[in-house]
Amino acid sequence: MSNEIKKLPEIITPSNKEVIIIGEVDNGEVKPVTIELLGAGRDLANKLSGILSCTLCGFNLGDLPKKLISYGADIVYVADDPLLKNYQTLTYRRVLIDFLSGFTLPPHIVLLGSTTTGRDLAPRLAAYFETGLTADCTELDIGPYEHTNKMDPEKVGLYPGCLYAIRPSFGESLKARILGPWKNPQMATVRPGIMLPLQIDNNRKGEIKKLSVNLHPEDYRSELIEVVHKINKSVNLAEADVIVSGGFGLGRAEGFELIKELADCFENSATGASRKVVDTGWIPYQYQIGQTGKTVRPKVYIACGISGAIQHRVGMSKSGLIIAINKDPDAPVFKFAHHGIVGDLYQIIPELIKQFKSNKLQLIKKEEEKLIA
Amino acid sequence: MPGIQNIFVLIKQVPDQSAKAGINPDGTIDRAKAKRMLNPFDRYALQAALHTKKNYGGKVTAISMGPPAAVEVLLEALEHGVDKCYLLSDKRLAASDTLATAYALYKVIKYIGDFDLVFCGLQTTDGDTAQVGPQIAERLHLPQVTYCEDFKIEENKIIAKRVVEGGYEWVKMQIPGLITVANSYHPLEYKTLRGARMVQHLLRNEAQRANYIKTITLDDIGADPVKCGLKGSPTIVARTDKVSEIGGSCVIHQGLPTEQMVLDLLRDTKIPEFIKS
Ligand SMILES: Cc1cc2nc3c(=O)[nH]c(=O)nc-3n(C[C@H](O)[C@H](O)[C@H](O)COP(=O)(O)OP(=O)(O)OC[C@H]3O[C@@H](n4cnc5c(N)ncnc54)[C@H](O)[C@@H]3O)c2cc1C
Ligand SMILES: Nc1ncnc2c1ncn2[C@@H]1O[C@H](COP(=O)(O)O)[C@@H](O)[C@H]1O
Repeated sequence: MSNEIKKLPEIITPSNKEVIIIGEVDNGEVKPVTIELLGAGRDLANKLSGILSCTLCGFNLGDLPKKLISYGADIVYVADDPLLKNYQTLTYRRVLIDFLSGFTLPPHIVLLGSTTTGRDLAPRLAAYFETGLTADCTELDIGPYEHTNKMDPEKVGLYPGCLYAIRPSFGESLKARILGPWKNPQMATVRPGIMLPLQIDNNRKGEIKKLSVNLHPEDYRSELIEVVHKINKSVNLAEADVIVSGGFGLGRAEGFELIKELADCFENSATGASRKVVDTGWIPYQYQIGQTGKTVRPKVYIACGISGAIQHRVGMSKSGLIIAINKDPDAPVFKFAHHGIVGDLYQIIPELIKQFKSNKLQLIKKEEEKLIA
Repeated sequence: MPGIQNIFVLIKQVPDQSAKAGINPDGTIDRAKAKRMLNPFDRYALQAALHTKKNYGGKVTAISMGPPAAVEVLLEALEHGVDKCYLLSDKRLAASDTLATAYALYKVIKYIGDFDLVFCGLQTTDGDTAQVGPQIAERLHLPQVTYCEDFKIEENKIIAKRVVEGGYEWVKMQIPGLITVANSYHPLEYKTLRGARMVQHLLRNEAQRANYIKTITLDDIGADPVKCGLKGSPTIVARTDKVSEIGGSCVIHQGLPTEQMVLDLLRDTKIPEFIKS
């Protein structure tokens, strides 16, 4: 009797155990974050013993829905319509609200990428359905939650199968686990470049279903007039193997030329920047890496003249190999870089470029091979 | 042409995370002790509202929800040339998540009345979600432009430059509408002499202050308390973990001739594999 545990009542909020990814298309291709979300979503759906589905809105989508099946979706819901050629808040909102309202039992989880599109759209959907939304997650999981807060007596209980939406908070010093099991769908946006996609499998079976597109006159209150892809391939930060970033240590806007020159030495590379460089106006916002910029995960990240503030670090700390060049040996960047050179970037970078172009490297390599042999 | 009449801007007071004060050893913030400041992102929203007034006319109203101390950021807004402020302050708002915050702010906007444009910051440094703006737009049935870095108004439509991945886009939106302002927008300009003088005066004259900063409660705006605060929040922070400091493992190349350090780096890492052949 004495060690009797008071069991909380188990509360299961109605859902159809479906995990839905809101997919994105860009320039005729599925965005990488959608494929990543399918990887993460597959895991969640398995843990729930549920199904994984994905929506895709756009025009002339061709084989893209099939591709989503190969990457893990059980069902792909497609709205292929000239009116949806480009993302606009109100038109996409309408199609998705109609779709999500059509379930007898609401889906359990809805996930979007925390791209400029996802972060524009997700809060509209969450507010419409008056459900919880966690921004910019870096980890997701499923698990139980015991709510004991007496301030909130109606909600006290044990909730199985909650979405754990995990995100950094206060810079990156804390990781917060955010839950909202009281209402489905439980929603989150997820940072691009973090979740691991599944291996593509063209034998995977799935269903493709059509979504109806019924736009209202008020959905046309905003229209896209022009898209400017002014940035060449070198801002494709999400897919680059090597990123060379410049910070305030460059001292002047022209310093960025040197950063570009170094990046140009690598195969599939891009350039990035710290916020201070962007704020100073040396380079456009699209290059910014960090908390308020892009999250990247290249194989090699070279930070030049960047102090390594926490807000910068959160955007690149998952990179495979982090190299820092900074003249201050106490710069915080050396706390998380794997290799660092202490010195003036205006000496180090030209030397790096020179070595890449010389054949000395090959000589060293050959010598090493000889030694091994 | 009717022109612009009323411009609303939403600003929040946040803890200053660069100051050490009020940061607990576990990394959480002790809001009572922390230094407070205007959310840095809201400076751009404020500037956008003030630009609109300067270029197209109208009056700027700044709105904040928070504890009584949040009056500080509203005074700051007045110094910059805002015309009128509202502070929604009510204990029942404690522990609001973004849905509950957006509901309360939507009720404030309805309470104040008609508007042409609502400006929000991109995000806050404490909540850090960028959700409140679009969630208010949803409640108000408004069109929106997020990540706006520049705009002009023509024939009662706003033509906004929106930052997106790999470039930007121009969007034409009907008024009324809601805009969230990117941090690549023009930085907030200096305080105006008139604004600064007025605030000096208001600091000495509490009765007059109430004419410029109106403090309101949930009852004033007719908000449903069940949709506010802890009760109205569908999400909770179930737990926080301190992220352990990485580090200590950096291989430092230092004090040698440049060429030597560079060669050492190239020998010790896999960088050479990525060089263009
Ligand atoms: C809410 C919020 C969000 C933010 N979001 C971001 C974000 O998304 N991304 C981001 O990057 N920042 C962000 N920041 C800003 C961040 O806190 C830092 O201010 C910023 O990252 C600093 O940029 P930096 O390292 O280029 O400049 P600094 O901190 O000034 O560092 C310059 C470095 O260059 C070194 N240096 C100088 N000259 C040379 C030389 N000749 N050779 C080699 N080294 C040299 C110096 O030793 C120094 O370490 C944010 C801040 C806030 C408050
Ligand atoms: N308590 C608040 N009072 C006034 N405005 C707010 C408040 N919370 C959020 N906002 C507005 O919403 C924007 C986004 O906030 P967030 O979703 O918390 O990142 C902010 O930049 C503000 O413009």
